[in-house]
Amino acid sequence: MTQTASLGLGNQKTDLLGRIKTTFARRTEGRAVILLVLVSVWALIWESTVFTAYEVTLGRLALIGLTAVGLTAVILMGELDLSIASILAVSGVVMASFDNVFLGIAVALAIGLVIGAVNAFFVVVVGINSFIATLGMLFFLRGMAFVISDEEPVTMTNKGFALDFGKPLIGEFTPRVLIFVLAFIAMHIFLTRVRVGREFYAVGGNREAARDAGIPVRGRVFTGFMISGFVAAGAGIIVTLQLTAADPTAGGNALLTSFAAAIVGGILLNGGRGSVLGTLLGAASLAILQVGMTFNGVESDVQNIVIGFVLFVAVITDPNSIRAVVGSARAFLRSRSAPDPAG
Amino acid sequence: MTIENTIEPSGTPDVADREVGVEQQDFNVLVWMSQQGVFVFTALLLVFAAIFIDGFASVDNITDVFNRAAPIGIVAVGMTFVVISANYLDLSVVAQVATSAVLLIAVSNSNNMFLGMALGVLVAIAYGVVNGVAVGVFRANAVIVTLSTTFIGLGLLRWASGGSIYFGDPDGVIATFGKTEIGPFPLAMLVLIVVTLVMHFVLTNTTFGFLIKSFGSNREATRLAGVNTPLVVIGAFTVSALGALLGGWVLAAFSNTAVSSMSDGFDFEALAAIIVGGTSVFGGKGSVLRTLLGVVFVSALTNIMVLSGYGFGYQQMAIGALIVLAVSVDALARKVGSS
Repeated sequence: MTQTASLGLGNQKTDLLGRIKTTFARRTEGRAVILLVLVSVWALIWESTVFTAYEVTLGRLALIGLTAVGLTAVILMGELDLSIASILAVSGVVMASFDNVFLGIAVALAIGLVIGAVNAFFVVVVGINSFIATLGMLFFLRGMAFVISDEEPVTMTNKGFALDFGKPLIGEFTPRVLIFVLAFIAMHIFLTRVRVGREFYAVGGNREAARDAGIPVRGRVFTGFMISGFVAAGAGIIVTLQLTAADPTAGGNALLTSFAAAIVGGILLNGGRGSVLGTLLGAASLAILQVGMTFNGVESDVQNIVIGFVLFVAVITDPNSIRAVVGSARAFLRSRSAPDPAG
Repeated sequence: MTIENTIEPSGTPDVADREVGVEQQDFNVLVWMSQQGVFVFTALLLVFAAIFIDGFASVDNITDVFNRAAPIGIVAVGMTFVVISANYLDLSVVAQVATSAVLLIAVSNSNNMFLGMALGVLVAIAYGVVNGVAVGVFRANAVIVTLSTTFIGLGLLRWASGGSIYFGDPDGVIATFGKTEIGPFPLAMLVLIVVTLVMHFVLTNTTFGFLIKSFGSNREATRLAGVNTPLVVIGAFTVSALGALLGGWVLAAFSNTAVSSMSDGFDFEALAAIIVGGTSVFGGKGSVLRTLLGVVFVSALTNIMVLSGYGFGYQQMAIGALIVLAVSVDALARKVGSS
């Protein structure tokens, strides 16, 4: 009796352990959780103003997170969108050039969608690698932002709207934080509950299989790039509203931070794995890190070094990278221990 | 898998002949443009500029074009190795060029020119190894890796230099080097030509060059053939870093000043030159001589735009469009070739 009971208990235990193991193996947010815990502890000890002045941290999170959430859709399909930095600049400059704010916002968002579609056209129809296609677009659009703005910051005419945009709307939350929360929830539901969104994972995991299963792969890639372009345009509008002027050179750091957030968040660069929750955790840890360093008086150059280092470590600790290193280390050890056929 | 992705057996020396054989199967405009287009387009652009653009064909202007083309050309020639090895590009050349220029001028002023050069070499090797290990050993995406090392490197440089401008000794060796001209050719152009010839020899006549090409066309087959592929990737990024090092020195000598922002745009001008020259971003195919031609094209185009009064924004748009266009032609030509 007791033996069977203990046996049963043992089985249950391994089942539980096994279940925990599979859950952990399935989740991709591990690195984001680790970084978030590390920076939170660092911030609590050294710079607790990060949490007391949480509206600053939330604002930064909204900024980093928004472009990263859009980027998530593209990376899940195994593509990259480097042009987001310039979409940010172009949409801001376009919006600020209009006297009517709402017309400007509409046009800027439409431009984001069109750029996303152009990116997707080059990737799926012409067949260029998305890194190179969107890199070309990054330079092209940066030039366009300079041309439209005449290489000067464009000041908004309707400053009142921009100032209202910075005031809390519901409780303590400013509109841009609310927009980010909405975008995050929408993206989470889209990727986990909506069929089109779930098919993104299939496209990223195995494009051929997805095509054979009847998923319109081209259509999904178009959708992904258009989401990324649209969201980046939205981020450009928000930055412009915050500064009441559009800077044609904007976006350089957004490129670094949003990629860092998505990759730290565990989105596999080859596609098919990851979650927008991971992106949120990655963005949150970067926001805490950046705001903490700013409050601490760390220069922006040093901040770039730190964030660049985070991105570097994140990209080389990707599961595929770890597997590659472990594999080659094993092969190396085997070649060392195996008797030399020549000798 | 396309036809081009098959690896050449190591016994066949006539790689070029076989490539020609593939081209001659059928005449196709796209295939022709991706292979031979750059020769015709460069010639047309130069003739057009000589006839219609005031001041293009003057000795002063041509010397100016050469002076601007030389550093970008040296960077592009080095980066060609990374592109041929199918690792897309090395964005961190921006940080590398600025670092080597600042080290050269700043250390020459405070200590000794040779110390500055030695430090530059160490930094270049560090860049090559860090980028190469991340991409070759960890198999990380080259675009993201070099994006992060760009921010780390530029951040370090700005932090160390405080963003200040360093002026070289107006009578020193560096300034003299930058001012020396042989006819319309600045000495920098001579450096570019020598570097190109050396790199061409390395790419076509050494095992390392052969491995770069074979890794670029089929990395798995190269690995299975027993090649130490991480070393090949580290080598490619180190060549790129050494190109950026020399490019930085030449750039510093030309202006006899150095500042951390002096190399903005080198990444994409170099990439444009490589791709326009006909080196494929899909890897495995390309030549540094073609890159040299691409540099002539891109520099002439930029110069024409400056002379015609089109500012920085228009130049960026043109070069961005050029990259997308040239890669599109290459991609479409490949579809034609494989079907």
